Amino acid sequence: MLDFILLAIFVVAAVVCFLWRRGCAARFAADPSAKNKRLRLLSTAALALGIYLALTRIVQLILGPHEAEDLAAFSPWAERHEIFGFSVSVTVLWLWVLIAALVVLAVILRIFVLRRMSDPPRGAQNVIEAAVGEMMKYVGSSVHGEGEMLGSYMFSVVVLLIGCAVLELFGIRTPASDVTFTLGLSSITFVLINIYGIRKKGVGGRIKSLAQPTPIVFPIKIVTDFAVPVSLAARLFGNMLGGMIIMDLLYSALGNNAVGITSVVGLYFNVFHPLLQAFIFVTLSLSFIKEAVE
Amino acid sequence: MELFAVALCFLPCVAAAISMGFATAKAVDAVARQPEASGKILSVMTMGMALTEATAIYGFVTALLILFTKI
Repeated sequence: MLDFILLAIFVVAAVVCFLWRRGCAARFAADPSAKNKRLRLLSTAALALGIYLALTRIVQLILGPHEAEDLAAFSPWAERHEIFGFSVSVTVLWLWVLIAALVVLAVILRIFVLRRMSDPPRGAQNVIEAAVGEMMKYVGSSVHGEGEMLGSYMFSVVVLLIGCAVLELFGIRTPASDVTFTLGLSSITFVLINIYGIRKKGVGGRIKSLAQPTPIVFPIKIVTDFAVPVSLAARLFGNMLGGMIIMDLLYSALGNNAVGITSVVGLYFNVFHPLLQAFIFVTLSLSFIKEAVE
Repeated sequence: MELFAVALCFLPCVAAAISMGFATAKAVDAVARQPEASGKILSVMTMGMALTEATAIYGFVTALLILFTKI
């Protein structure tokens, strides 16, 4: 009963604020003075507050009172399901869904866009050409003379990480918050470092480059090399998990009032942060490969 | 005792924050001195920031492992 009364009060308040704001805007249009401008700003804020409060009451009516979550929701290990006798975690399942979606998207682009490439680029072709060109340029400038192959791998990594960020926007636990996924990606980087190093200098040259400047540092350099994938994996995993935990904490703290505020905060933690981390992952991988090649 | 260990794990955050502040200050200094090199400075700074930030992240991951791993 109290919920309905509160909802009615807030809806009436929002309508009153709307009328007030319209009056203020009309007065500001007639006489653009500083006082009228301040009044218009104040009425806009009051209208936003009224709409926000009314929306939270509607959410409360639909979903019922909020129950606090327990600490297990913030665990670094995702929950697991039994599928065909295998224990598979949720993040891996969603990663498979994401990979399938990306493959379908790639096939669609291959059939409908790449076949009809025209010289003055139009529509989707523009976007693809710009993205691929920028990526190739970046990889080529980071690791000299290794553009094509490395560039395509790094492009797919970036697309996969962006896909993970998009998954998180739908309220799904992002695959990048699973340490197995990030460790897999960074082990590929480790293999690539050694492949490119050996291809450039040969096996003897690669081992000799580890013994620079004196042979005493050889064991330390070996340890440093094995620390690279661990550090890359822990960095990506920790950042993604940290963002996810902060958003979860915010949602559980705000409860049914989580209207609007979370989308503003999520713009940083769910959109900007994963993109920055994808960029950093690619940059660090490239710089380690460059170090091995030079 | 366990919670005390978890709290200690966030000491690297303090160090990382201070050093990232130093790095940004130096980068701003460099851009003010040479505005035409801002792109290069930005990319170098981002990489240094990533390496610095990693220390804080290691502390965070360690804290989570202490909290959620049952020995």
